[in-house]
Amino acid sequence: MKVKVTSIPVQDQEKALQFYTEKLGFVKKVDVPLSEHSRWLTVVSKEDQEGVEILLEPAPNHFEPSKIYQQALFEAGIPYTQFNSDDVQRDYERLIDLGVEFSVKPTAMGTVKIAVFNDTCGNNIQIVEML
Amino acid sequence: MIEESTYYFKQAGKVMNEYYANEGQLNAVIGTRKYIDNHFDKDLKLDLLSDVRFTSKFHLLRLFKKYYGQTPKQYIIGKRIEKAKEFLKKGRTITDTCFEVGFDTPSSFSTLFKCRVGLTPTEFQKRATFTKFDKFSF
Repeated sequence: MKVKVTSIPVQDQEKALQFYTEKLGFVKKVDVPLSEHSRWLTVVSKEDQEGVEILLEPAPNHFEPSKIYQQALFEAGIPYTQFNSDDVQRDYERLIDLGVEFSVKPTAMGTVKIAVFNDTCGNNIQIVEML
Repeated sequence: MIEESTYYFKQAGKVMNEYYANEGQLNAVIGTRKYIDNHFDKDLKLDLLSDVRFTSKFHLLRLFKKYYGQTPKQYIIGKRIEKAKEFLKKGRTITDTCFEVGFDTPSSFSTLFKCRVGLTPTEFQKRATFTKFDKFSF
């Protein structure tokens, strides 16, 4: 078995696609309509397009427990998903310029530096640089 | 320091204070990792690494594993494989790639690469070239 796809729950797939491509710089990989209101929609890192795909999954709109879980994580400030960065400070500055809101500014924590931002789709996302 | 008041900040702060309190140890392992990153293509031995950090090799091994969750050897292999993928994508030969990332023989490099990546270096390179070509055709 291989790890090929991982999911991020989003409240609005189109808005999520815009955020993940235009702000974060990911690239759309697969886009299949599944019903009137949902798509099998994945994005990948620009520099690793054969790597793991992120499924932007509209679960919070269709499955109440998913919505509650997402809200609880968000309110607790918990980033359920994290992405690796070569330079957290540089990515932080780039994203701030694009209007992205951070709840944790770049902070060294032992062997890593982290920062946490709001993906505007219901999630806290953490970026991590190994020190 | 993380000073905010959400559950996550509190937990992260706790981890930071309890687990990452020893600055000397942190500096030693972070310095070691940076040294590996800058010299991954050399014949890196733990004795050499411990000399660089002025500590015993067994202590350094334990510290590295404690803070990074991998032994230095595992980390070095991961780094070399990652770099080998970059070189192969750029079209370098398998033999060149093998020596440039610090492996001793092409056969041990190929075996290890296949084990970690799931493809031999040749297969990986063919697939990378095909993907690139595929993108140009659109």
